Amino acid sequence: MQPIAESIGIAAPELVLATGAMVLLMLGVFRGNRSLHGLTYGGVIIYAIAGFALLGDAQSELAFDGLYIADDFSAYLKVLIFAAAAICSIIALPYLVRARSDKFEYPVLIMLGALGMSMMVSANDLLSLYIGLELQSLAAYVLAAFHRNEASSSEAGLKYFVLGALASGILLYGVSLVYGFTGTTDFRLLQVAVTETPAVGTVIGLVFILAGLAFKVSAVPFHMWTPDVYQGAPTPVAAFFASAPKAAAMGLLVRVCMDAFGGMMSEWQQIIAFMAIASMVLGAVGAIGQRSIKRLLAYSSINNIGFALIGLAAASELGISGVLFYMAIYLPMTIGAFLVVLSLRGADGRPLDTMNSLKGLSKTRPGLAIALLIFMFSLAGIPPLFGFWPKFAVFNAAIDAEMYVLAVIGVVTSVVGAFYYLRIIKLAYFDEPEGTVLPQESRVNGALLAGIAVFCSPLGLFLMGPITVAAARAARAMLTF
Amino acid sequence: MVEAFQNSFLGPYVGYVAAYVILILAIVLPLLIGVAYAVYADRKIWAAAQMRRGPNVVGPWGLLQSFADGLKVFLKETIIPAGANKGVFLLAPIIMFTVALLGWAVIPFSAEMVLADINVGILYIFAVSSLGVYGIIMSGWASNSKYPFLGGLRSAAQMVSYEVSIGFIIITVVLWASSFNLNDIVLSQKGTILGIINMHMFNPLLFPMFIMFFISALAETNRPPFDLPEAEAELVAGYQTEYSSMAFALFWLGEYAAILLMCALMSVLFLGGWLPPFDWAPLYVIPGAIWLILKICFLFFLFAWVFATVPRFRYDQLMRLGWKVFLPLSLFWVVVVSGYLMFFTDKFA
Amino acid sequence: MLAGIILLSGTAVILSRNPVHSVLWLILAFFNAAGLFLMLGAEFLAMILVIVYVGAVAVLFLFVVMMLDIDFAKLREGFVSYLPFGLILAGVLAAELIVAAMAAVVVGSPGEPVAPVIAAAADVSNTEALGALIYTKYAYVFQASGMVLLTAMIGAIVLTHRQRSGVKRQNIGQQVARRPEDAVIITKPGVGQGVEL
Repeated sequence: MQPIAESIGIAAPELVLATGAMVLLMLGVFRGNRSLHGLTYGGVIIYAIAGFALLGDAQSELAFDGLYIADDFSAYLKVLIFAAAAICSIIALPYLVRARSDKFEYPVLIMLGALGMSMMVSANDLLSLYIGLELQSLAAYVLAAFHRNEASSSEAGLKYFVLGALASGILLYGVSLVYGFTGTTDFRLLQVAVTETPAVGTVIGLVFILAGLAFKVSAVPFHMWTPDVYQGAPTPVAAFFASAPKAAAMGLLVRVCMDAFGGMMSEWQQIIAFMAIASMVLGAVGAIGQRSIKRLLAYSSINNIGFALIGLAAASELGISGVLFYMAIYLPMTIGAFLVVLSLRGADGRPLDTMNSLKGLSKTRPGLAIALLIFMFSLAGIPPLFGFWPKFAVFNAAIDAEMYVLAVIGVVTSVVGAFYYLRIIKLAYFDEPEGTVLPQESRVNGALLAGIAVFCSPLGLFLMGPITVAAARAARAMLTF
Repeated sequence: MVEAFQNSFLGPYVGYVAAYVILILAIVLPLLIGVAYAVYADRKIWAAAQMRRGPNVVGPWGLLQSFADGLKVFLKETIIPAGANKGVFLLAPIIMFTVALLGWAVIPFSAEMVLADINVGILYIFAVSSLGVYGIIMSGWASNSKYPFLGGLRSAAQMVSYEVSIGFIIITVVLWASSFNLNDIVLSQKGTILGIINMHMFNPLLFPMFIMFFISALAETNRPPFDLPEAEAELVAGYQTEYSSMAFALFWLGEYAAILLMCALMSVLFLGGWLPPFDWAPLYVIPGAIWLILKICFLFFLFAWVFATVPRFRYDQLMRLGWKVFLPLSLFWVVVVSGYLMFFTDKFA
Repeated sequence: MLAGIILLSGTAVILSRNPVHSVLWLILAFFNAAGLFLMLGAEFLAMILVIVYVGAVAVLFLFVVMMLDIDFAKLREGFVSYLPFGLILAGVLAAELIVAAMAAVVVGSPGEPVAPVIAAAADVSNTEALGALIYTKYAYVFQASGMVLLTAMIGAIVLTHRQRSGVKRQNIGQQVARRPEDAVIITKPGVGQGVEL
């Protein structure tokens, strides 16, 4: 029995978040909805403290009798998650105030979601995996329906909830099968128990677990909810969904596959490779006919998850560091793209979401158009921009693992995908404006947008060194422990 | 007794069943007679409170009144409304009645006189008493009529609300006894106060819980001032409006059996169950069952007294009391009691 | 037998025409599940199952279902058109399971559990055993489940709580604090004079 105090020290970031969320909640209850701004920035401070708690000794450590693990891998992903959560709670402020949904619970829910995600990436047991996942999902369901007066938002929440509950059920079923056939839920012990010729129940269990996790990263064939939920949910919430949970679920997928079921590599490799191909193809093709920008971004996120899964399918250190690198670049790109959508408001002040509203953006809002240009080129993976390098990294890993078909399909679909990204650029730069677009109302959002755009632009390449080093270290920590 | 039957000519299996059937009847028959007299006592106490005489015609001092009433409903025709959902309509009173009797299985009448001395006795009673709501909600729905429906809904909300605080109150007592077993809970009260009084009720930390339990028990059994499911001024007779004859009688019996069960539970939890009130050897000569019955009678008198004196609550006030007063208070008290036991006694050492 | 009843009532839940009957069947299924726990010697879990699921969750469920006004003829309209697809899906799943089961029969080894299942000590009641495990080994997951429930609670409040304006609320504190001096004026008006308020 490990002493509790030692475990608490190791799990400090989670503890900070949990306490922080409860403190914010109490403050919110007593101060009412007018405290929204204060709570949001207070939340940012809490994320920062939790981030500091991540620093310290870099060895991999187990806590709570092996339920929890802290290593470079989880620390890397937690940094991404905390940053994304902080940004997503800040950018929502003007939107929430305008939509009269400025309830103080918003930053609290985001923080609880972030807590769930950080528990996910630190999970070292199927039990803590499930609880983390469920915490994250519950917060997400509520956030999707946060605009409860709008039918589309309620619909998004309900759809997400019903399908998410189904996915959780499948995952749990898988967990119980694995437990039944191996007698343990601990990843360390599973590693020993799972061998090259596993029991049938374990295989079925693994398939169910992967299906449940694939739902969370919205990989094909478990992607159906994504476009509807992104479109219906409030835009900042959609930005949140497209960023932090993806990183967390991806990290979890990597840990479950490489760590717990490392012995069954040949089994899951086929599944992951199939999901990667299907996601890339469907994401690229499905996006073409879309009229709503948010739906388009949803398909784009499916597509991107496909690319990231290539790295996992390669199942090598190079592949894992590719996945981590991909997540680090994908998160700012997608948040940036959603931030652009968030900044689009028609003449009546209501948010715009149709592709046509982008027409002639370069004339009405030149600054925003440049940011859009950077994000779209970056998402398309055009070389000088940052978005090119992670794709390069995962393709490299695939070729290294001699998965040529996967790499070729990846390149082809990224060309197909470039088509719709370029269509957006065309609308913004070569068409005449239709209607007006109001200027940015929040300086903070403007500054964040500019910052993220600079990050994704070629200037961001200066950061590439540190990120790749960190990703490589994280991947090594994950594989060696 | 069970062994004796098993060793007799009946053989192990038949003997086992026969022994338990006899034991069950030994509890249920006196209970039903008790229920009949509880109704009579109830009416006499209200009458006294209102300076009337109450039932005094059938038998000496009206003692046979309840049996006359029972005979009357037994002979009447059972009417099932045309729009009713027949199966559920008939099932509802049966559930109500059965569930009210089920809980008695674990009530200890003395150290040995208990039908099923199970480890989780208190949870069993709690589970069974929470089932009573089904009889009401099903009857309300199956009657297919608006007053019963409203009564059923009210009752469902009310009983679920007060179960929460009852649960926490039970936890405080369980903490004190460190057991879910009802006999252990009774024994933990032996000489608990100053070494002579056998009652948790006089423990200053548990006394507020006793009061809250009493009030929650009133709500849980739909007794006035919480009899909103059958509030006659608004809902005719609430969930029982469409019932007649035997079905109606089953509701009536079930309701009183549930009240007596709650009184018994309260005696076990707070009044020392089958222990005499004082830890003094001569008092132990009187059998435990008598002490328990006396305590039940005392609590039942309180129930009737409240009925006769307190006006009915408004529904929102009822909910407010349950969720905003009792729930936080009982939750807080669980913390207080466990804190006390942790720091000032060696119970958790 | 209990498992059989669970299966039967589970089938009845989805087959019965009336949603209220479905819920009642569901309750029967819960009861039998509790019975299974009892037979496994887990009496604490059995009681908690009855208290929580039958005593509270199903009551609320029944409560909601009774108030819903659902036209079931309408719900059934799409049934026939989805039937072939559903049957195909069910067939595929069944085939998969059969293949898997066959493979299991052929391969034979169900895999040796690595961690032996801990046998409960005979002198410890299973309530105690459960508590000892939940509060020590699994404290982390236990606390985390608390956070999950907190989130659910916040969610329910966010999505349903509305601040209505123009409602006169009863303030019991104020009512109780009111003294006769604030509310009653005692005057003795002369004959023919009115009372000034």
